Amino acid sequence: MTVRTRLLDPAVAQAMSALSGAAKKGLGDPALAELVMIRASQLNHCAFCLDMHLTLAREHGVSERQLGLLAAWEEAGDVFDERERAALALTEAVTVLTDGFVPDEVYEKAAEHFDEVRLAHLVALITAINNWNRVMVGRRIPPGGESCYRFSSHS
Amino acid sequence: MTTTDDTKTEYAPETGPRLRWAQLAPDVYKAMIRLDAAARQGLDPTLCELVKIRASQINHCAFCLDMHTKDALAAGERVERIMQLSAWDESRHFYTERELAALELTEAVTVLTDGFVPDEVYEKAAQHFEEAELAQLISAIAVINAWNRFGVTARMTPGHYQAGQHK
Repeated sequence: MTVRTRLLDPAVAQAMSALSGAAKKGLGDPALAELVMIRASQLNHCAFCLDMHLTLAREHGVSERQLGLLAAWEEAGDVFDERERAALALTEAVTVLTDGFVPDEVYEKAAEHFDEVRLAHLVALITAINNWNRVMVGRRIPPGGESCYRFSSHS
Repeated sequence: MTTTDDTKTEYAPETGPRLRWAQLAPDVYKAMIRLDAAARQGLDPTLCELVKIRASQINHCAFCLDMHTKDALAAGERVERIMQLSAWDESRHFYTERELAALELTEAVTVLTDGFVPDEVYEKAAQHFEEAELAQLISAIAVINAWNRFGVTARMTPGHYQAGQHK
């Protein structure tokens, strides 16, 4: 497994960081943001993003139990609260668009737990991590390494 | 029965967007505009529109399809190349080898949930695009995927876009 290319236009990287930064700030819940970004990275199989956000999640105090059960959150009882579950359901729907749309019930459940401004930023966060996943998987950037530090400064 | 009078046809009612995300999150919208402009730099606009239309088909984004098919037509793209795009693998002679490599890469980078971007797809693209251009193409595919996510989740209304409006 070798890196395909490390090239990423600096203007693209800066705009992606600005997008992630704006989304996280507007959501205003760093621990939940990490759960969302890890779940999307699991679905998109992005090793780089998983490594980075597992590290950041621990820094933000997310429990090992939540991290371990995240891939099976729906079956995990009360390990995730209703707000987290609504955000994770939305994350999955917005990430897997190829199966068709974002169901009304998923959207409405999220809208019960997040006001419109926070919901717009949550959608932006899911979109932003999907963007990183594509850029990292497409170029086959391995977990860790120097670029990890560069991007983590935007957390 | 045939009719050419569109005013007499009863279409299903149009629904509005469910989330006005650009107004609710202006910093996010600004970053998206910047990102879109940055990812387009150095790429052939004709190729870009094909990539955007194909990704929007896969992600079922009606708003993005409305925009990019209109922009492609306005830029002189042939109708049949747009119409054949969802079956490009069976109508390869409509496209150049370079476009085909880009379309294959578009599908692989768009459908990550089925697992990774195959080596043969990446390598074929690398035969037609030099490294910096290929990195830019991956960014451009990621960005249309991002617009698709906003379009579908916010349920943005297709049909009102006019070619060139967002250039």
